[in-house]
Amino acid sequence: MGKVTTVKRKLRSGGVATPAPQSDSDSDVKDDLKLDEESEEESPSNSDAEDVSDSDVFVSDDEEEEDSDADDEVENAMRALLTANGAGNSEDSDGDDSDYVSGGSDSEFDDSDDEGDDSGSEEEGAGAADNNVGGKVVDSTLAKVSEENAGEGNGTGVKAVEESDSEDDGELNPRNTIGDVPLEWYRDEKHIGYDKDGKKITKQERKDQLDAFLSRADDSKDWRRLYDEYNDEEIILTKDEIKMINKLREGRTPHEGVNPHEEYTDWFEWEDKGHPLSNAPEPKRRFIPSKWEAKKVVKLVRALRKGWISLEKPKEKPKYYMLWGDDLQTAERTANGLAYIPAPKPKLPGHEESYNPPEEYIPTQEEINAYQLMYEEDRPKYIPKQFDSLRQVPAYSDYIKERFERCLDLYLCPRSRKKRINIDPESLVPKLPKPKDLQPFPTTCYLEFRGHTGIVCTLATSPSGEWLASGSQDGSVRIWEVQTGRCRKIWEMGSAVKQIAWNPNPQISILAVAVENEVVLVNSETGPEEDEANLLTLLTVVQKPKAVEDETPLTKWIQHEEFKGIRLRHHHVVHSVAWHYKGDYIVTVAPDANTRAVLVHQLSKQLTQNPFRKHHGRVVSVLFHPTRPFLFVATKIHVRVYNLAKQQLSKKLLTSLHEISSMAVHPGGDNLILGSKEAKLAWFDMDLSTKPYKILKNHSRDIRSVAYHKKYPLFATCSDDSTAHVFHGMVYSDLLQNPLIVPVKVLRGHQNGIFDCEFHPKQPWLFTAGGDEVIRLYCN
Amino acid sequence: MEENGKMSEADVQETQVQVRFTTKLRDEFRVVSTPFAVPSSLTRYGLSEVINALLGRDKPIPFDFLLDDELIRTSLEDLLLAKNLSAESILNIEYIPAVVPPIPKESQLHDDWVSAVDASLASYIVTGSYDTFARLWSVAGTCVGVLEGHTDAITSVSVIPTPVSHGDNISIVTGSKDRTLRMWKVPTDNSSSIKTVKPTRCFKGHTSSVQSVAASPSGMQICSGSWDSSIMLWRTSEDALEPEEEEIAKKRKLAGPDVDTQLAETEVSAKATFDGHTQCVSAVAWAAEDYLFSVSWDHSVRSWNVETGANTSTMSCSKALHCLSVGGEGSALLATGGADNVLRVWDPRIVGVVAPILQLTSHKGWITSCKWHPRSTFHLLSASHDGTIKVWDTRAKVPLYTVEAHKDKVLCADWWKEDCIVSGGADSKLSIMREAKFNL
Repeated sequence: MGKVTTVKRKLRSGGVATPAPQSDSDSDVKDDLKLDEESEEESPSNSDAEDVSDSDVFVSDDEEEEDSDADDEVENAMRALLTANGAGNSEDSDGDDSDYVSGGSDSEFDDSDDEGDDSGSEEEGAGAADNNVGGKVVDSTLAKVSEENAGEGNGTGVKAVEESDSEDDGELNPRNTIGDVPLEWYRDEKHIGYDKDGKKITKQERKDQLDAFLSRADDSKDWRRLYDEYNDEEIILTKDEIKMINKLREGRTPHEGVNPHEEYTDWFEWEDKGHPLSNAPEPKRRFIPSKWEAKKVVKLVRALRKGWISLEKPKEKPKYYMLWGDDLQTAERTANGLAYIPAPKPKLPGHEESYNPPEEYIPTQEEINAYQLMYEEDRPKYIPKQFDSLRQVPAYSDYIKERFERCLDLYLCPRSRKKRINIDPESLVPKLPKPKDLQPFPTTCYLEFRGHTGIVCTLATSPSGEWLASGSQDGSVRIWEVQTGRCRKIWEMGSAVKQIAWNPNPQISILAVAVENEVVLVNSETGPEEDEANLLTLLTVVQKPKAVEDETPLTKWIQHEEFKGIRLRHHHVVHSVAWHYKGDYIVTVAPDANTRAVLVHQLSKQLTQNPFRKHHGRVVSVLFHPTRPFLFVATKIHVRVYNLAKQQLSKKLLTSLHEISSMAVHPGGDNLILGSKEAKLAWFDMDLSTKPYKILKNHSRDIRSVAYHKKYPLFATCSDDSTAHVFHGMVYSDLLQNPLIVPVKVLRGHQNGIFDCEFHPKQPWLFTAGGDEVIRLYCN
Repeated sequence: MEENGKMSEADVQETQVQVRFTTKLRDEFRVVSTPFAVPSSLTRYGLSEVINALLGRDKPIPFDFLLDDELIRTSLEDLLLAKNLSAESILNIEYIPAVVPPIPKESQLHDDWVSAVDASLASYIVTGSYDTFARLWSVAGTCVGVLEGHTDAITSVSVIPTPVSHGDNISIVTGSKDRTLRMWKVPTDNSSSIKTVKPTRCFKGHTSSVQSVAASPSGMQICSGSWDSSIMLWRTSEDALEPEEEEIAKKRKLAGPDVDTQLAETEVSAKATFDGHTQCVSAVAWAAEDYLFSVSWDHSVRSWNVETGANTSTMSCSKALHCLSVGGEGSALLATGGADNVLRVWDPRIVGVVAPILQLTSHKGWITSCKWHPRSTFHLLSASHDGTIKVWDTRAKVPLYTVEAHKDKVLCADWWKEDCIVSGGADSKLSIMREAKFNL
């Protein structure tokens, strides 16, 4: 098997490399070669047919060694050969050379062919004896051989064979004359075509499979049998033909007579002729594909893929265009911003300005009279007149005027186009819900609490919402009935009140009032009756044993005889006071006391603690977390959050404010607002970041106080500019959703600033304490 | 008719409207039922002039006019436009005697703000004041009794109807910021000297200020609303100490410094407590012997079944409510005022009612008190922090009249003897105003 393949390869290479010596003793062979190597010249050869028999013998020696394969396999291979030829009919016969070079699929096909050939040569001897087909048959067989070649490479075969048949063996083979048409046209017909005389050639009946098998089994020559579809006949190859096929396959000459090593005759007498024909061998570069061409192709392909080369036809310019219209469109056509704007064109003269205008342009006398009645602007600029000849046309009276106007037009014409950014200002405003949809919030002032004779500095509401406490610079603390605005109780503290805090525990209705360097705890007498006794004991100073007293106590707890309360005497002025949510601890701020600025007092045990050794800056405000053991300490620029349980710093909020004035903690405890003296409001979401979530600059002057509502999603700021701003500040329980802050209302009415604001604990109402000594209640 | 004719002549261009006048008054005040053509620019006053002219009265009587049970408050022209009526159709206008603004008759000065007034008795007016005393004023305008006993401001007073105040005694119950209610018996002798009356009973139970009290129609029960957001029900009957009613039989003498005054005082605990409100119960009112309403700062109006103590229905608005009155059509409507300037009228008979049927806006401050007229089903009064009292007809959107009763906040107001209005305010005055009445 392998041997046969190599033989075939030889045949191939022989066909290409040594075309010239091949003889054309037989016209068929010559044709074949011509087909195979068209470009090659015919080389003269003198080989005879007798040589074939020699080679026959030669070949038949091999046959004995070859083993006989299954017959049907052979037949299949043969048939494949033919069908391949048939299919190849339509193919172009050119470009055969390149086909020889190409691919592996051919060689596969070759293998199958080889099998058949091998086994074919096996019984060649017998076949040659039996078949008295003669030389002509050999011819046709050779044609087959060429077909085989075509099967491997070019697809010409059949036609050439037929032609040769018709030429040489016309009388012997008066078969089909349909020519080179697809055979399938006749597939459904009863004939396969027409003979020379134009008679139909009827299809022969095909043997059925069984008969074919039997005949194969009987006939040892059956492997040489071929079916010619074109002529609808079976052909039996002779031994000679088989031999020739084998020779061709082995790359030898088909006949003995062909001398492969013939003397080289130089047909061109080029030496002395002086013409440029050269017999130098073809250079290698002719046979290898050009590298540069390949590069060029790659470039083109790339350009095509990227769309640099468009295959569309360029647009044809319109044949006709506006002669005058173009100028005005120049401005629109320039894409970049600074468009050139041509000066407006002067109006072109029309028919009416002709010296001899058509009749219809000339106004009648009535029309001229009518013009006189029109406004000057509406009057036509030029009244057409008729003259007999151009000579009679007078000088144009408006010439100077029109020239001047034209110059003015050119001078005043805008030179560049101003690019206008077309943005809808509404779209720049962030989408916020309308305040109307965020009801309720305080809107209108319904009540005024009058009575103080100084600036009202601080406010506090009772947990039930029934009472309001206020502290003023006139040194008085007042309790007001919210519903009627009636003052219920007055304590004269003797000095300006800094801050008031109402105990958040409804059972302990105690007010903490920061005055000078004292914090006064008084019973507001608004709590339940049962708790009064309890309050009385709370507000009675227990004399401690002397031993406990150290040299400088943080604070002195002194009984306040007048108010039946307690004085907590500090060493420095107390600015701020705040209760723990359970109502037992008070934290006070005395900013001047350095390390003792923040003190925590326990009411039930009457003890004072100093939880901090050092403060980073001047403490402004201190608040307890509404539900957890945390303490917020606001210095001027930072807020520190301390964990009281672990006694450590939990968080430091970087405010980016310059001077914090007030602080409020959301009832949920995770959000914080800060008001600053530079009129900024900062909202911190402590889960989110230590930097402000939002900074609003809403006031025009210092923010004095900020406050959260305990129930409603509201917070408020009040400022020296005498306004209080109410915001909707919704904190969502969903941690992924950021708080929603919407300014909803600006409350006005005060004069001289608002010093404190406080929400009603249960209603969406806001109390504001003003510099005009009035407390106002704003309701929804 | 003559006047009408004159007017037509005077202004021929003016459009005319066909009007037919009807009335339910006596024959004496009837006019012919034939339609008249009147100028469409006529308002109530013009129509009133027409009627007076038709009746031929020397002293004109002011009349008010109803079209489809609505008071005419604009010109006929605008009315036609608003009602989308054709100018050619005949309007059936009913005329009723107009309510005229009352004349301030007298005012009595208190020592402190007058926080409560009850004028359900024809012979006396009861007031409560911030000076912890309740006072009894006679028709003559003199103080005939001072009810001493509370330790803090009185927020509410209520006269207990007759069955209890049998004999010559008047029974009064007061609620105070000292967390108690007290009941008083005032003998009604005609002596003009000022009596000082001590409380007979003290109702304790509330843990915070009592904001409102109301005695049931029979006088057997009292209910009270308080800042502790509960409503409590109490018995008034003297025979409360019957053996079977042991739950209210806690009777003990109060040990106090002032033994004399406390001697007669009996301490009583609540018969029942109704919980449901979440904030201060600012007003309570009885609709029937077993049915009461309450309003609260928690923005709700609730009705309670007294027998079972069940909250039968809840209506809410968006504002804290301060006052409540039951009356009007079929004595079933509710009027409420609250922490805004809107007087709301509710109809609790409509099942599933959520919104007030009427919202009357004219005040400039909180409404502190509202009362339905004891006889008329259309009239109600409202008092406000803006110092005015307004009287409303539910058939019109604008008040019938406004009285500048006080220079400061008006805290309470009531109808007295059907034609008078009494009110108390932050200027410590009890002012009495009498409506001009016409003999129709």
